[in-house]
Amino acid sequence: MATPAIRMFRRLEGLFCVYKPSGVHWKLVRDSVETNLLKGLNATSSQPLPQEVRFLAHPVSETEAPKGLTLSASSVPVLSKHPLVTGPEFQHIRVGVGHRLDAFSSGVLVLAVGNGNKALNDLYRTRVTRDYTLEGEFGTATDDFSHTGRVVERSTYGHITQDKLDKVLAMLQGANQKALLMYSNVDMHSQEAYEMAVQGLLGPEGKSQPILTGLRCIRFQPPNFTLEVQCLNETQKYLCKVVHEIGLELRSTAACKGVRRTRDGPFTLQDALTHHHWTASDVIRAIRQYHSKRNAKYTHTQIKDTALQPPEESTT
Amino acid sequence: MSKTERTENCRRRIHFSPSWVSKRMAFLRVRLCTRHITTGLQACGYATLSKASRPQDKSSTGPVFQYVGQHKKPNYKVFVWGFSFTGALGIPSFVVPDSGRKKPRKYQLTPYRLETAEQISSAACGYGFTLIASPTKDVIKLWGMGLNKDSQLGFQRTQHSRHQSYDYVLEPSPVALPLVEPLQTKVVQVACGRAHSLILTDQEGVFSMGNNAYGQCGRRIVEDEVYSGSHIIHKMEGFSSRVTQVACGQDHSLFLTETGKVFACGWGADGQTGLGHHRVSSSPVEVGGDLAGVEVQQISTYGDCSLAVSTDGQLYGWGNSEYLQLASVTEATQINSPRHLPLKGCGKVVQAACGGTQVAILNEKGEVFVWGYGILGKGPKLSESSIPEVIPSTLFGRSEFNPSVAVTKIRSRRALRLGEECARLFGHREERRPVLPVEGDCAWSSGGRSVWRRPHGGAGEVPAVSFCVPAAVDERLDVLAEPPADPRAPREADWWLRWSLEASCSPQAASTLRPVVTSSQVHSGWFCRKRSLKQLTLPCMWVIWERHQRMDFVFLQLELKRSID
Repeated sequence: MATPAIRMFRRLEGLFCVYKPSGVHWKLVRDSVETNLLKGLNATSSQPLPQEVRFLAHPVSETEAPKGLTLSASSVPVLSKHPLVTGPEFQHIRVGVGHRLDAFSSGVLVLAVGNGNKALNDLYRTRVTRDYTLEGEFGTATDDFSHTGRVVERSTYGHITQDKLDKVLAMLQGANQKALLMYSNVDMHSQEAYEMAVQGLLGPEGKSQPILTGLRCIRFQPPNFTLEVQCLNETQKYLCKVVHEIGLELRSTAACKGVRRTRDGPFTLQDALTHHHWTASDVIRAIRQYHSKRNAKYTHTQIKDTALQPPEESTT
Repeated sequence: MSKTERTENCRRRIHFSPSWVSKRMAFLRVRLCTRHITTGLQACGYATLSKASRPQDKSSTGPVFQYVGQHKKPNYKVFVWGFSFTGALGIPSFVVPDSGRKKPRKYQLTPYRLETAEQISSAACGYGFTLIASPTKDVIKLWGMGLNKDSQLGFQRTQHSRHQSYDYVLEPSPVALPLVEPLQTKVVQVACGRAHSLILTDQEGVFSMGNNAYGQCGRRIVEDEVYSGSHIIHKMEGFSSRVTQVACGQDHSLFLTETGKVFACGWGADGQTGLGHHRVSSSPVEVGGDLAGVEVQQISTYGDCSLAVSTDGQLYGWGNSEYLQLASVTEATQINSPRHLPLKGCGKVVQAACGGTQVAILNEKGEVFVWGYGILGKGPKLSESSIPEVIPSTLFGRSEFNPSVAVTKIRSRRALRLGEECARLFGHREERRPVLPVEGDCAWSSGGRSVWRRPHGGAGEVPAVSFCVPAAVDERLDVLAEPPADPRAPREADWWLRWSLEASCSPQAASTLRPVVTSSQVHSGWFCRKRSLKQLTLPCMWVIWERHQRMDFVFLQLELKRSID
């Protein structure tokens, strides 16, 4: 017999994303989300206690002193099922984490509940890119490439202009494009490689070195600048190092002030739950949204496949 | 200093440099203490933002390094790559190696930096030679390197004698132009053909130098002219208005004036001059046909096919169409008068570029269309197309991250394609088939074509020579055979070149073999070139085989005789 709580527990299966603030370890985020979910589940189980009939002995008063036992039936609650005795109904729920974020960065962190953890595996076995926004500042170089590290060197940055920065970014993009081609396991002279390149599918399968598939500068006000990056197989430390290397290429120094993940696969900032919304009801809503989006995309691709017959190019 | 070295040096400098290590160490000690305190406070927090431990920076005492000087000028770089035996890359050590052990470098496959004295704004590659020009107003504004046997780089005085000119120039050497006001005129554009070059200046018109055997330099054709060691740099006349663009085909030249008219001169056997006939033209004549009254904004040519783009986005073509470049209007293999090419689905054409066997156009939306024969850029399977095919823009960097990438320029000659966002260069390199020369011939390739040259040895007739070529499906054979320089031979003599083709292939395929030789539909013949003792060229002789046949060798028999017996 499925109580509302058990039904809710079974519905809690799927993927959703939260916004991890910076300065916090990702495990704390995961733990607090798990705690909140359990709290929410346990709060809904407001089943009335079952009653049972027990024969209770009356308390003997001093006036009447019969030696016989008088029992009377009364319905009493079953104490063994009392929540204070059994403890909360749900004590454990599986919450898994997708691509991790280190304590310095913030942004979209994908979590999975229950059987959604299997979907998590599948989702990340396919090639999925992530978008970041990197805030950088010229003028200092630190030992851990972020602005909280120990300053190693300070240098001038007055000579840096937008077009010099663009040149350096173009050079980095070229190097990353070459790495992308190198790590994709296709012979570059084959027709298969051409078709993959046309669809944009060239790239590494599985583990490889971090590759930036897209890089551009969205704001430049010296000494501060902001980059938008799309990458594969990266770590946030690597992105801080990229900011540091940009500074070196420009004959100056740079440190990273913030790393913010704006997209992880299909999950964007719009879908991310902030700290106040880490409750069970919001999580259930987010999971439902994810399911509906996925179904819509699935039916959309099905329709596309059946309706579309792409004409091949003619070779005379 | 590389990046990692600099990072390491930064760290090392702090620890080991004696001059201010004491200051630094004291500073560090202070900072370490504060750090410990802050981490202690943080240990119990849950989500305290760690901005508290942000270091000093602005008020710190410490040196600020400056790595860039006050007056640093932007540096402009020139990169060269390709075939380097003739010295066309401008780096002498490729041709004459510094140490005796090394061999001359034949191909430079990756871009190699060429140091130039000035900023270079225009460069052009010909057959084994290169011209680079700078927009400066100094006296020296043009440099040339590579093959100079037809004085296509002007007169390059040798060290030992001022009457002799170098045949191969290994380094960018200044070319002296006969300008009226050398300190006022700037070189706007250079263009190079097979053995001639054109220089366009802003105030003094067009200068031409090099081989003029077909009038491609725009001056009167002189019989038996010796081009090697020639001082002639001809200032071209006969244009109705100022010339704004020049283009060199293999042996012809095209000029675009500022009123939008096109002039042409040179070899016209394929109609590439567009003057309505197949003769040579030794002075620039205005091109008519469908271009009469049309304002042209860009011209382009490479081999024997010429294209023009008008200001309203229409494309006109004339010349060679053996590779289906002009198949949208004609089934013939040559057109000698410009025809408008109706292209469906291409939009308004902004730029056109001719390759040797292909054509590419750019429309105003930044899409690139290609057609023709050879490596078209649409994968290894597509090697021939008579209708324009669009190249998917994902190959130029368009993706979800960058949806607005568009191509802004296309150029031919060495087929560079510049994309706007990423500035990646695609080089069209046709695979060089190995050539098996016979009897010590000197063979070199330029522009994707292979040229065999039989050195002259001894007087009298040259015995028949047979070249055995691995069946190169898309190679065009230009055969240059030099008659022997025999002092006893009469100056005017008829030299006959007999050529014949045979194919050797697997027996199963022999029945379905269909070789096609275009200039005459026969497999052998005599070709005569009178009076030109320098060269005997067999133009337009090439072989297309059925693509799916697997050929082993093509035997090309050549026999050079003074007269037919």
